Amino acid sequence: MESEQRGMLYWTMMAELAAKGYREASVTGPIEAAGITIDEFEAEFGDKDGCLFAAYGHLTEEVVGHATSGCDSGEAWPERIRNGLGALLDAIAAEPEIARAMTRHFPGIRPATYERYVELLSRFVPYMREGREYSSVDEELPGEVELLAVGAAEAIIFGEIDAGRAERLPDMLPEILFSVLVPFMGPDRAGDEMRSAAAAI
Amino acid sequence: MDSTETRFDFAPDRIVETVVALCAEHGYREINGEHVAQHLGSTTGLDSDWGEVEVERCLVTAENALLADVATAVSGAYSPDRSEWENVVHGVLAILELLAEKPATAHLGTTLARQMAPPEVNEIYKSGHRMLTAMLDRGWVYSTQAAQPSTASTGSLGGAEALLRREISAGRATGLPQHLPALVYGATVAFLGQEEAMRLARSARDLIRDTRWDPAKP
Repeated sequence: MESEQRGMLYWTMMAELAAKGYREASVTGPIEAAGITIDEFEAEFGDKDGCLFAAYGHLTEEVVGHATSGCDSGEAWPERIRNGLGALLDAIAAEPEIARAMTRHFPGIRPATYERYVELLSRFVPYMREGREYSSVDEELPGEVELLAVGAAEAIIFGEIDAGRAERLPDMLPEILFSVLVPFMGPDRAGDEMRSAAAAI
Repeated sequence: MDSTETRFDFAPDRIVETVVALCAEHGYREINGEHVAQHLGSTTGLDSDWGEVEVERCLVTAENALLADVATAVSGAYSPDRSEWENVVHGVLAILELLAEKPATAHLGTTLARQMAPPEVNEIYKSGHRMLTAMLDRGWVYSTQAAQPSTASTGSLGGAEALLRREISAGRATGLPQHLPALVYGATVAFLGQEEAMRLARSARDLIRDTRWDPAKP
């Protein structure tokens, strides 16, 4: 199977899941769209679940790649977080149905698929650690503050996707940025960063 | 019914409890009357038409009961002798203890109802979420910040939920109360600032010190 065919298969499989839900989702359309045979499909994935897991893994890498590419510049940590978050929100807004499949339909299949969603979120935690250097209190911040920041962004993003408003997420960058930064920097400085991001928009 | 069959008249609350436990383990789509009956020790199963609709009814019942239990736990933790924010610390601990006692219900309340359950269960989750968000929004009364983004309470609650979901999905629900300090910090920092949120986190640490929830206790 060519790389392009594989990419098309993953994409159409997640779109099928978003459109029809797990039970009704069929592999027939995605196989045709990818231009492969049922034998090739079965040899590589076994069944629908195998393809869904592979598709989710592939798209997870794409999502993480989008977000973290903006985090790798030489800028200060808050700016890198802003860039990464902006790239992520743009990617979600461009493909709202795929975003819904990744946040709602796939994780909702069974506990093993939900585990993949938890793993996806955990990929962002290491990018938060540098935020501890921006704290204005002397004592050590709570041990889970990185996850609190990731969870804050996820909750707002999930809420918009779930409500069918993924397209407006890029405009919400400043306030989502506030929720990500505030556990590390406090509300004053997170508010400054929010205003700066709003001005840039 | 032959002599090897065992059939019970199951109490509704036992069926609900069993469905919640099985859903936490397998997801709600995988559950049917046969699974539930086997789990309860019956060899004959429930009524033949017992299926997805009944599973959903059980989840609705359990989710409603959880919301009521949360409200009872929070009101039971309230004391007029404490400040509003100290009462928040005690209220959060009461919720965590409630979830720690019933890991499967904790999974329902934080994970299944949010992302994995049928719409009717999800709506109950959302109503509880709106209630908690509105409670957090009261925090702006105590804030001197110029920046008061409308999604801050959703973010604060979301951070706490992410921590709960990670622990519950990892099978560590019984230890949830030990995360009280981090959860209190995360829930309050946007409104009260870092210093006051850290003070409340220390207060939370003191509250669980030398209890079975103390992470430092062997």
